[in-house]
Order: sequence, then structure tokens, then C-alpha cells
Amino acid sequence: MDVFYFTEMPYAEFPESEAEKFPSMRLTFPNTYFDPDTASGLMNRYLDEYQYAEEMGFDGLMINEHHNTPSCMDVEVNITGGILARITNRAKILMLGNMLPTSDNPVRLAEEIALLDVISGGRIISGFVRGIGIESWANNTNPIHNRERFEECHDLVVKTWTTPGPFRWEGNHYHYRAVNPWMLPVQKPHPPVWVPGTGSPETVEWTARHRYTYAAFLTPLEVAKNLFARYREYAASDGWEPGPEKFAFMICAHVNDTDEKAQESGKAFLWRMNYPLRGPREYWSPPGYTSRAGAAAVAARRPTPLHEMTYQELQDRYHLVVGSPDTVIKKLRHIRDELGIGSLLLEAQGGQLSHADTMRSIELFGKEVIPALKD
Amino acid sequence: MPNFTEETISVAGGNLQVYKGGSGDPLLVLHGAGGNAGPRRYAQALAEKFTVYLPSHPGYGKSDRPGWVETMQDLACFYTWYQEQEGLENVRAIGFSMGGWLAAEMLSMTGHAFSKVMLVGAAGVKPNDGEITDIFIISPAQVRDLVYHDPSQVPEWDELFGTDPTPEQAQQAEADREMAIRLTWRPYMHNPRLPAKLGRVNVPTHILWGENDNLVPVECAGLYQQAIAGSQVTVISNCGHSPQIEKPDDFVQAALAFL
Repeated sequence: MDVFYFTEMPYAEFPESEAEKFPSMRLTFPNTYFDPDTASGLMNRYLDEYQYAEEMGFDGLMINEHHNTPSCMDVEVNITGGILARITNRAKILMLGNMLPTSDNPVRLAEEIALLDVISGGRIISGFVRGIGIESWANNTNPIHNRERFEECHDLVVKTWTTPGPFRWEGNHYHYRAVNPWMLPVQKPHPPVWVPGTGSPETVEWTARHRYTYAAFLTPLEVAKNLFARYREYAASDGWEPGPEKFAFMICAHVNDTDEKAQESGKAFLWRMNYPLRGPREYWSPPGYTSRAGAAAVAARRPTPLHEMTYQELQDRYHLVVGSPDTVIKKLRHIRDELGIGSLLLEAQGGQLSHADTMRSIELFGKEVIPALKD
Repeated sequence: MPNFTEETISVAGGNLQVYKGGSGDPLLVLHGAGGNAGPRRYAQALAEKFTVYLPSHPGYGKSDRPGWVETMQDLACFYTWYQEQEGLENVRAIGFSMGGWLAAEMLSMTGHAFSKVMLVGAAGVKPNDGEITDIFIISPAQVRDLVYHDPSQVPEWDELFGTDPTPEQAQQAEADREMAIRLTWRPYMHNPRLPAKLGRVNVPTHILWGENDNLVPVECAGLYQQAIAGSQVTVISNCGHSPQIEKPDDFVQAALAFL
């Protein structure tokens, strides 16, 4: 099993209760709380931590992208991906991912990812995401077209990577006279594609039909199991059997020298489980963004929203794994064996977790936890 | 009180739900983004003088959406098709809110659509000073609070809002909202080219607004008036975005005087 290191690169440098003055900490939370000098320090710190994660033995480095939110300062995975491509030399770079529906230029996107694959020497995993509802607002892309733009953008990116140019594209949402970028990916036929999900049945089916890796994000284990089972059913109906490499699972995880110390430092993750996950339904799921089936599945997927769970509940349900190396090894083995996953995506820096605690955690993961997960 | 019937006809290969009632010359009523509330009190009153046609726009209510109806201009094309098929060209018309924008798009496309038209709290034109309230980023309950200036003067309040919606009604409201988003997402609730295109309009046009409109700023009444030569404006005082619901008697009086 491959283990990935991940941080959303949060900006947690203001009293979080300020969020209560606004509908949400996302989308319309005023950017007057942002200080660029503080952000400069944080961004460089986070990039250093990624470098250290590779050095300590993580198999991959995962990055993501959000807009209008202090919970995630990475606004462009192809920029941070480009930096990681150059400052690391072994780890896979998992971009999870580029938001396809909000992209107005899939050919440019295909070029950018190809460039990253070239610079990194073929280490790119190209995640494609629909983006949460908030991204539809921030980028002003009609949520009603989210899924059809996702699919058309994907088709065009993959064709751009795999079909010799020049060719023409006249689709519903995208139109090109001469698709013929000079820059093409190292990996053939193209970099691996991963797709995250939290329960939408259409996404599981689409991912299985394309034989891509499906990554369940912060779902209860039972929900992930069901999603993976559905994936396997679609695969079986298409006449193939997916191996563990088709399944990934993302959680928050923190390790420290002792359980006691970890329980104390791990509380820093509560920041990311709280206000950044709150907000009106309209922000998270604007009308048209989610299908009826998707809405029903999402409603059924969690008994309690993450932001209403206590520290203990988050741990009991494996959304947040915290402890000494031994404790964390036990829990992560349990997840691995329950789910049959090929990749475990660990948000190991989250919320207000300090540089010192993050570095110690990365070190312990690398020296003790990851080797124990390879058996 | 005139009887309204609900019928389903086929237009452009899909079903169109139409409430129809009254007698006299035809009067086409185009509902707003929130959906077709059926023949409310104002429509009953108008049906004393006219045969009122109140269709549910494609994608709203029980009306199908032909796959090509994606924009307000597509919707206007659909309605000219409907008018031609049903012999409803050159008729009187009232458009409320987004339905007012629809009527204005139709006016900009053809001189055959309407003989007289009322635009009521019409979207479609970008205000200079204010902004058209984004009704999609807030909850339906918040939208309702903004629509009505003084709920206590809404005679049909209990009928319209007195009981919680059934699951079917809630699902319908969500589908209506999705259709509104499809049509009006960007540029939001207006067409930058519309005012220039309204230069062709040569049918009598009456622009009516609630003085306290919290959704489409009342300044848009003046912008429509500037765009449409010879149009008149009436502003109803102490009234929000939907005069036909909030002050039906005043609204009907103004409508009958013009139509």
C-alpha cells in the first residue's frame, strides 16, 4: 500500500470564531482577514514539509485546490505541482485535483499537466474533480452543467494527451480549431487518472467505467466499503476485476511520540473539521449541482456531519487517526484490511498543527508507521 | 369567479402545462423565476375580461424541457413557437420578473409577439446603481422574505405559504429552481445586449414596479422606459417585488386600465 502525505495548506492565523459573523468560513468570508506576509511564511513552510515528507519515506505527495477559503491556500494544483515536481525527485505527485467543470480551457489544462509530467519525469497522478459547490460560485460556472462539463473536459484532456494533433474539437461546452499542444506527458498513454468521491453514485460508476482509481474522502468506513463494492460491480459487468490500485481512502492522521502527546497535539485538526465545513446548503450544493440520486446518497452517507462530531467521535469513526506510532499503525492496518485499498491518503498537516508537530509527525510516519504498513 | 382548467399541450416535441381560464381576448401571462403559482387572485380578476393563458415555462412545473432550451433567448424562441402554433400571436401579455425579461426578449426578436405588454418587476436589464439580488445563493425562505415588502398585506399568504410543502412540492420547487439557474446563471438575470435590442419595440408597453422591490431595483423601471420608446411606468407604493400577489387589487386596476 502506498502512503501519501497531504495538507490543504490552511491559513488558520485568525480567531476562528470570526467565522460566526458570516454565513460560512468559505466563499463570502472576507479576505480582509488575509495577510500576505503571513501567507508567504506558511506556504513556504508547507512546501518544506512536503519535501521532508518525501525524504522521510512517503510514497506520494498529494495536493488539492479550493477557492475563497482560508482552509486551503492552494488555489492552483498545477502551480504547487510544478514546485513539487522540481523540489522532489522520487515521490509520486498526486494532484487531486484539477477542477474540470470550472475550467474554460481543457487544452491548456492538458498542456499544464503534461508539462508537470515532463518536469517530474513521469511522477504525476492526474486527479480530476468536480469541485465542491462553492467552486461553482467562486468561478461562476453554472452548477447545472457541472457533470456534463466534467465529462466533456475530461474527454478533451485525454484526447489531447493521446491523439496525435492537430485535431479539431467542436463539443457542447468546448470548441477548438487546432488542438496540437507541443507539450505531451511522459507517461503513456497518459498519467494515471484518479477521481475522488464522497458518495455520489454517478461518480463511482463513471470512474469504474473508465478504470480510474476512486478515492473516497473522509467517509465512514462502511460508506467507503459500499462505494468500492459498487465500483467492483460495475467493473464485473464490464468484464474485469479491479486490483487494490483502483481504490484509495483519505483521512486525517497525526502521530506523536506517545498517545498522550498525540492526543494533545492532534486537537489542532479540530480547526479543519469545524468552521470550514459549515455553511448554507446553497454554498455547498447549489441547485443543479447534485443529481437527485446523488443528493439521496449524500444524505444517507453520514449519520452526523463532521463538524458536529466530537474529537473522540472523529477518531472512533476513523475520520481522524491520532496516536503513538503503535496506535496509528494498528488503526491504519485496520483501515487497509477493511477496505482493500492500494493507497492511503493522509492529511497529516491540518488546521493549526504547528511546524514542529508536523515535522515530528512526518518523521515518525516515515521511520515507524509507513514501514509497518508495507507488510 | 371564472373557472380555470389545467391542460397539457405538445409544443416543440414536449409537454407544456397551461392554466387557462376566463373569456374574451387572449392574455398571455409569463411567470417569474420562482415558478408557476397557478391562477392566483389577480389572474382570476383578469379572467373576468380576458381569456388568460398561464403556461409553466419549459422545465418548470409539469412542463418538459426540450433539450435545446438552455438560455432566455432559447426560451423566447420556444414561446414564439408556442404562440404561432396556438394562434396566440399579437396578443396582450404580462411578464412577471424573469417572465418580464422573457417578454422583453420576445419583443426584441419579433414585432408579432404582443399587441400590448406589461413588464412587472422585470429582470433582464442591468441596474446602474444597485444589483439584482442573487436568489440562488440564499435560501428560498430568505428569498421569500425579500420578495414581500409587508407580508401582512398579502391576501393569499396562508394559501401560498401557510403550510409546509409536501415532499412532492419541495421536489418541484427544487426542480423549478434548477431551471431558473439553467436559464439565468451568467450573466446573472440580465442580458447586456437587451436594452439596445429593445430599440425596435413599437407596441404599447407598460412598466410596473413595486416601490420597495428588494430583488430587482426599481431603477430598472426607468432603464426599461429609456430602452422602449413611448413606454409608461407605474410604481406601486408600499409594495415589494410581486405587486400581483402583494397588492392584487392595485395591480389588477393598473393592468386593466392599460390592457
